[in-house]
Amino acid sequence: MMVPVRCFTCGNVVGEHWEEFKARTREGDEDPEEVLDELGVDRYCCRRMLVSHKDLVDIVSPYQ
Amino acid sequence: MDEDYEVEFVERGDRKALFLVRGVTPAFANGIRRTMIADVPTLAIDEVRVIENSSVMFDEQIALRLGLVPLTTPPAEFDEDDVVTLSIDVAGPATAYSGDLVSADDMVQPADQNVPIIELKDGQRLELEADAVLETGKAHAKHQGGVSVGYRHLQRVEVVGDADEFEESEPNIVRGVVEIDGELVDTAEFDNDLTQKFPGKEVAVHDVEKAFVFHVETDGSMTVEELVNRATDSIESRALELEDAVSL
Repeated sequence: MMVPVRCFTCGNVVGEHWEEFKARTREGDEDPEEVLDELGVDRYCCRRMLVSHKDLVDIVSPYQ
Repeated sequence: MDEDYEVEFVERGDRKALFLVRGVTPAFANGIRRTMIADVPTLAIDEVRVIENSSVMFDEQIALRLGLVPLTTPPAEFDEDDVVTLSIDVAGPATAYSGDLVSADDMVQPADQNVPIIELKDGQRLELEADAVLETGKAHAKHQGGVSVGYRHLQRVEVVGDADEFEESEPNIVRGVVEIDGELVDTAEFDNDLTQKFPGKEVAVHDVEKAFVFHVETDGSMTVEELVNRATDSIESRALELEDAVSL
């Protein structure tokens, strides 16, 4: 629903980079690989946390 | 211990460091690694008192997210049973961030300010009070100060001659930091492949006795230096405890 705070595998804080990652790749047209490199998210366990995430708050909020 | 430790930094930052330690046994290197992961206490939110939560997430989900936010933990300031109270009050439409947490203690602050806790829609509100406690990584992963802590045996690379002229060339992969002619070289410089560094040469790779390259990252609750120091302090205090128990 919301982006995980930490990487499930290694415990690195990845939530910190979500908003910038989202703005630059989902809403912008930058290459996710380059953005993740720039953000310093090096390991593939942390990278998949951001690459595979989808915000669902907008989808569930009408049913509260 | 008849020889001294020798420490050399390859990369040194607040949250990430790479350093070489000489004169340390594999058992002791692993002891330090395990202590950094499981035995250095950090502060993390453990209990929350919810005043209002009309967001799309349940109270316990919010509590879990808050618990995972790293809090700065100054050394030697807190004891096992100390409690630091933090509060958050955000009304929608807005997103509650870790930076919105207000701490009762100036020394204890969220290490990262931009972690989204929950997105609030129009009319939704999150107001709660949270207690942060000091615990070790053994008790819960949220108290784990060291992230991806590991070490490698230092390897020495030597050129022993020319490669066979008609030999099929295969990549010769090494990782991390290696010693070439007494210099420490990051293998990423030559794409981890020794045949790129020494084309047409035959090389020999040996482990260097009692030398380990540590890779240490922290979640931001303390610097790498503090983490390593507190890990060694923890080993020392437990060794002293054992000594006291044995020598009645």
